[in-house]
Amino acid sequence: MTKILRPDAVVIGAGPAGLGAALAAREAGLEEIFLLERDFELGGILPQCIHDGFGSIVFDQVLTGPEYAQRFIDKVERSGIEVFLDTMVLELRSDRSLVAVNSRDGVLRMEPGAVVLAMGCRERTRHQVLIPGYRPAGVICAGAAQRYINIEGLMPGRRVVILGSGDIGLIMARRFTLEGAEVEGVYEIMDHPGGLTRNLVQCLHDFDIPLHLSHTVTFIHGRKRVEAVTVAKVNENRKPIPGTERLVECDTLVLSVGLIPENELSKKAGVVLHPATGGPVVDELMETSVEGIFACGNVVCVFDLVDYVTFTAEVAGRGAAEFVQGRRRWRGEVPVRPGRNVRFVVPQRLRCLDREVELYFRVQRPERSVRVRVLVDGRVVHSRKARMVRPPEMVRASIPAGALNEGVREVVVEVTPDEKEA
Amino acid sequence: MSFKARNCQLLPTRAEIVVVGAGVIGCAIARELTRYTPDVLVLDKENDVACGASKANNAEIHSGIGEDPGTLKQKLNVRGNRMYDEFVRGLGVEFKRQGLLIVITPRSAPPELLERMNEEDRRRFFTEVIPRGIVNFGKKAGITGLRILSREEVFEREPNVTREALAGVFDPNYGMVCPYKLTIALVEHAVLNGAKVFLNTEVNGFRVEGGRVRAVITNRGEVETSLVINAAGVFADEVADMAGAGGFRIHPRKGATLLFDRDVTSEYVRSSVAEFRLPGMKKTKSKGGGAMPTVEGNLQLGPTAVEVEDKYDTSISAEEIEEIFERFHYLLPDFPRDAVISAFSGIRAPTYEEDFVIEASDKVFGFVNVAGIQSPGLASAPAIVEMVMGIIKDLGWELEERKDFIPERPAPIKFSELSNEERHRLIMEDPRWGHVVCRCETVTEMEVVNAIHSIIPATDMDGVKRRTRTGMGRCQGSFCGHRVAAILARELGIPVTEVTKSGEGSPIYVGRTKDLLLQNDLRGERLVDEG
Ligand SMILES: Cc1cc2nc3c(=O)[nH]c(=O)nc-3n(C[C@H](O)[C@H](O)[C@H](O)COP(=O)(O)OP(=O)(O)OC[C@H]3O[C@@H](n4cnc5c(N)ncnc54)[C@H](O)[C@@H]3O)c2cc1C
Ligand SMILES: Cc1cc2nc3c(=O)[nH]c(=O)nc-3n(C[C@H](O)[C@H](O)[C@H](O)COP(=O)(O)OP(=O)(O)OC[C@H]3O[C@@H](n4cnc5c(N)ncnc54)[C@H](O)[C@@H]3O)c2cc1C
Repeated sequence: MTKILRPDAVVIGAGPAGLGAALAAREAGLEEIFLLERDFELGGILPQCIHDGFGSIVFDQVLTGPEYAQRFIDKVERSGIEVFLDTMVLELRSDRSLVAVNSRDGVLRMEPGAVVLAMGCRERTRHQVLIPGYRPAGVICAGAAQRYINIEGLMPGRRVVILGSGDIGLIMARRFTLEGAEVEGVYEIMDHPGGLTRNLVQCLHDFDIPLHLSHTVTFIHGRKRVEAVTVAKVNENRKPIPGTERLVECDTLVLSVGLIPENELSKKAGVVLHPATGGPVVDELMETSVEGIFACGNVVCVFDLVDYVTFTAEVAGRGAAEFVQGRRRWRGEVPVRPGRNVRFVVPQRLRCLDREVELYFRVQRPERSVRVRVLVDGRVVHSRKARMVRPPEMVRASIPAGALNEGVREVVVEVTPDEKEA
Repeated sequence: MSFKARNCQLLPTRAEIVVVGAGVIGCAIARELTRYTPDVLVLDKENDVACGASKANNAEIHSGIGEDPGTLKQKLNVRGNRMYDEFVRGLGVEFKRQGLLIVITPRSAPPELLERMNEEDRRRFFTEVIPRGIVNFGKKAGITGLRILSREEVFEREPNVTREALAGVFDPNYGMVCPYKLTIALVEHAVLNGAKVFLNTEVNGFRVEGGRVRAVITNRGEVETSLVINAAGVFADEVADMAGAGGFRIHPRKGATLLFDRDVTSEYVRSSVAEFRLPGMKKTKSKGGGAMPTVEGNLQLGPTAVEVEDKYDTSISAEEIEEIFERFHYLLPDFPRDAVISAFSGIRAPTYEEDFVIEASDKVFGFVNVAGIQSPGLASAPAIVEMVMGIIKDLGWELEERKDFIPERPAPIKFSELSNEERHRLIMEDPRWGHVVCRCETVTEMEVVNAIHSIIPATDMDGVKRRTRTGMGRCQGSFCGHRVAAILARELGIPVTEVTKSGEGSPIYVGRTKDLLLQNDLRGERLVDEG
């Protein structure tokens, strides 16, 4: 076997998170950084996202996925970061030692100074949402369909039903239509759409594709290839209402029913995951519960905007550098708790307490005219108005520098009706 | 040989013995026959072996404790279980005697019965009478080693079972095997020893002359033979009727199972766990089922038992899914429901007598029915084979052991199970070992290639999946689907648009991008108005 490699840092996954983290670690002064990616190219999910809508915050520009990724790839190529493509990380231990494999070097063993997890997320499948019926060809996840069409140049279907109105589902409705397929409709179990209004207009409305809210697929027909699906209206408990079933002929069912952070490696390393995010519990440096293992991007929680992924990546990359350089110091342990109408907050804990901290959170239910507030031991340190908050959209808030110290007991993030403060 | 050429091979005109059906039963019989003669022909209408019940069952090698006394099922199950280690030897398939914990709960007896008892009697009934009853029942059937467990010992073994548990019985004989890998291994072993397998070959009649079977008629021609083994699973009644050798009816009974993420469930239960019900209490004809970790460590919950009309009805209904969760929510209260990764249904092949039918036809000489092989058919397989061999001998076949029988079938290499040293060595020999295709199950390109060029080659996505586990993990092929399809296309020498999930009529792709646009254009349906 090859000898053990001991770089300063290893970044696992080269999507926007991994690219950003590697670059940030580099800028913070780390010498030897390995970027390991199991695919044949850099960019993660972005090369297949050929629609625009990326980078409005980071670059103040509307880019396509490949364009956004390219900006980072160009920098990485000039930075001296060592890139390993077609390289799959198989094992990670709590002492940060890891095993990766590729067809050129064989089995690679590494003992890096720090590790950054940037494995992204995967799609929820039909069985995870337990759609009854047969198991024919033609049932695919939206992201996979996107890959087939945009990268492989292959059409997964001619007459398509889409389940789930998240952004990926909406974008694929348009994509299928542009490729000459017929999209019969998009069905959404909730009584409100899952995706951005912009995508509803540009991907469905502009193409006359109907959106059926409070509907779901109750049966998949066809033994060999999908022949039809039964759709039905659901009640307020999201259970199908008998008598509302309708048979829709189609050869493809595309699922856009959620993403799950990809944390199999993290679990093996003993990294503690958060039940609400499905990703590692992190602090303000994006350091996980295991010393020297950092995490960023969709592996931590599913972000709706790539810009936020990039921001967390920069924090994690700098954090990894601080750790390796022996500068990272913990001054305490302050939990960040979700308050009123907040489902989760990232980071979940604070330990350095010496800097401004950016917080990302999701709400539990849609709410209009609200105030987003951050309280440090009951004292409001951040408060701003928001016209509308919705569960699919990540909300940002921040703790200003100087608001934290060893004595602080807790930080609470809450969303309150605006009248109170007005 | 190319994919096409292989598919067009001519059916032999003669075979000493023809086995109809390449499920676990047909393949096990074929393998045994090749110990005596290489001239065995196995026919199946599907495009791969193990496409019937043998791919969609619970993989349990029961001890026989669940079967009724006096049935052939009980007798062959008890014997089959004992023979299993020998049965799988040399096949390179995993067989694990992980044991079964039978949990006794307040639901184990009907309320009517309990009403008449005082509290002390009830306690004794659950903690002494029932467990002893189970052990004695086992003894009578020839099942040894059953151990009575106190409530505390139950929790010690399986900390996650319901706190309502009152006692238990542990059955160490019980094991697990991968049923489709076993079937593939058996038939490959038979082929190594001279047997021939023809897939996509449907038997639709027999030539019977003078009360003897003379030939098998298929969609690909006729094969002369004087001995037919009917192991056609749920279709065995129809196949027997074709020869006039029938007399039994099979009514399809569907069973659905939910499968869970290994990482979440492998620690959850160690052995299989089932809740005891006094005989006569079972609402359904299912064997009760339970929570069963597969040899790979994925927990299964199920199965259901639903009578269906259609012998191809492998769907799973919303009611079945609910029923499974309800049933096991009691036994395993905080079971992680959302860790489900897959659900499947299989069709059992019971007769109305609810027992195996294993006999030489008294109407057609040379026609042996191996029918009604519902659960515990997999567990009974070795004993079924033994019984069939006895029947063949009784029919007058001279069975002389071959000197040149090859005792082993080399198992395909599984990358995920190798040490890092072995992995490295293989990659240095062939870089395809270093290219991980399926991330969830860590399957490499080389394993996929090997499956496509194996003795019974995988020709579609499901075939590769059964042999290598690609797409069987938590992402269910979202990641590896197009990668496996591309390898299949390359290795089979076909365009990727001809790759299927499970044979004809199940294409993965409907064409290349722009094909549809061009077709629409030709039809004058221009979508994007360029004017
Ligand atoms: C279909 C789709 C449409 C989107 N549209 C928009 C949009 O319009 N605007 C917007 O702002 N955002 C959009 N997003 C969100 C944004 O693209 C993602 O949030 C972002 O790509 C996540 O970045 P990441 O680096 O965390 O994960 P990914 O991009 O998924 O990258 C993870 C990388 O890790 C690699 N990896 C995983 N495990 C291993 C391992 N064991 N060994 C080696 N490598 C590994 C993977 O191969 C992958 O390349 C969209 C996302 C999707 C899926
Ligand atoms: C849900 C479920 C759970 C079960 N669990 C267990 C368990 O845990 N333990 C256990 O011991 N048993 C179990 N069983 C039973 C076990 O699966 C069966 O007993 C066993 O697989 C039967 O094998 P077979 O070869 O007889 O049938 P099959 O595997 O169905 O094979 C029959 C073959 O015959 C072929 N065929 C049919 N007609 C023709 C024709 N005309 N021409 C050519 N070929 C034809 C079919 O294509 C098929 O491949 C279970 C069954 C089900 C359905």
